[in-house]
Amino acid sequence: MAYKPQYYPGNTSVAKNRRKHMSNDVEKMRDISDEDLTAILGHRAPGSDYPSTHPPLAEIGEPECSVREVVTPTPGAAAGDRIRYSQFSDSMYNAPSVPYWRSYHAAINFRGVDPGTLSGRQVNEMRERDMEEYTKRQAETEMTDWGLAGLRGCTVHGHSLRLQEDGVMFDMLDRRRLEGGVMVMDKDQVGVPIDRKVNLGKPMSESEAAKRTTFYRVDNVAFRSDKEVVEHVQKVWELRTKYGFVPQA
Amino acid sequence: MAKTASATGKQIQIKIFPQRLLQPRTAEKLLNEIDQVKGVVRMLIGGKNLPRKVTCGPGTGADVNHPNMEIIHVGDCAFELHVMVGEIIVELDNESGKEELRNACERTLPFSFEFKQGHFIKKKATLTDYGKYGFKSKTDESINLEDERILGLIDPHAKPENNLCVINPEGEK
Repeated sequence: MAYKPQYYPGNTSVAKNRRKHMSNDVEKMRDISDEDLTAILGHRAPGSDYPSTHPPLAEIGEPECSVREVVTPTPGAAAGDRIRYSQFSDSMYNAPSVPYWRSYHAAINFRGVDPGTLSGRQVNEMRERDMEEYTKRQAETEMTDWGLAGLRGCTVHGHSLRLQEDGVMFDMLDRRRLEGGVMVMDKDQVGVPIDRKVNLGKPMSESEAAKRTTFYRVDNVAFRSDKEVVEHVQKVWELRTKYGFVPQA
Repeated sequence: MAKTASATGKQIQIKIFPQRLLQPRTAEKLLNEIDQVKGVVRMLIGGKNLPRKVTCGPGTGADVNHPNMEIIHVGDCAFELHVMVGEIIVELDNESGKEELRNACERTLPFSFEFKQGHFIKKKATLTDYGKYGFKSKTDESINLEDERILGLIDPHAKPENNLCVINPEGEK
């Protein structure tokens, strides 16, 4: 039987969702075209070529190196793309992804990633075309509910705030909003207006968000209700502490 | 010298903290309901800032045009919201208006809210206020303000005309 890694312990819905995110076994929920995605990322004009920071690797000729022979460059690295970023904010009111799980998802399932994890947001730097592929995966699947999360390059405030009356996470720069029952984004991730209204689909209902979330909350699935997870976390902390006292180990 | 108005006395302060951030229409409705409550001395609106322009990042300087930055009418006053209303602190003349205030919130808010009594707005002048307004005169060391109720309602460096609204100044509250 082929080995199938189990990424996270626990039997609650939150633990199961966390495993799903880590293994990239996530449900696709909406379509966002490449052009729309490029527009909301705001790094280059939709339809334009990828600017490069160095010539393609095939042209510059790499030195002899056994590691380079083993590791195939990502499409972005092979083409010499610039390093660009995308950043998501997630509401603590049952957003589908915890910033840590966006990082796990990126680091486990994509190559050439540089994830930065903060309490309420997660930024990821990659070669431009690789970053677009990664962002598209997160934006189109159940990892993102555009009502409870947002693509925010700056002014990310919203994660720990109460939701708005319409159930949407507050956005100071009004990049995306609820219009006619669907989330619409007419600015890029840093708040500069774009020439289109990108339809990001329907936001999840409260009950659906509670079902798909990876946040432990006492008013939904409490962290302490998952004994296996608590045990695992305690074991990790115990080993880390012991290791700290035995540096030669 | 007799004081014309003062915030000191037996007033009580209530903080109303809704479960959700209020849209302008709901905030307007709630503020008008509160304005109808007998004995309201002053109200302080707090919430999440709505900037006019992007202040950081590559988009610095771009207009935000936030749809919630609306002009709302409270009593005989109209003003533009600079925040998404998240809390309202109300000062009442005395305890008797408390239940009426709670009922006004229950009528207006479609979700639950916290209703706390405490000390949220300052009631007497501090050093910063004396620095801003000074003494009345060499012989009178009380603060040089005709209406002490504005103390604690605005930041020391903010302009009152953009942040302060006097509703029904002639009427008895």
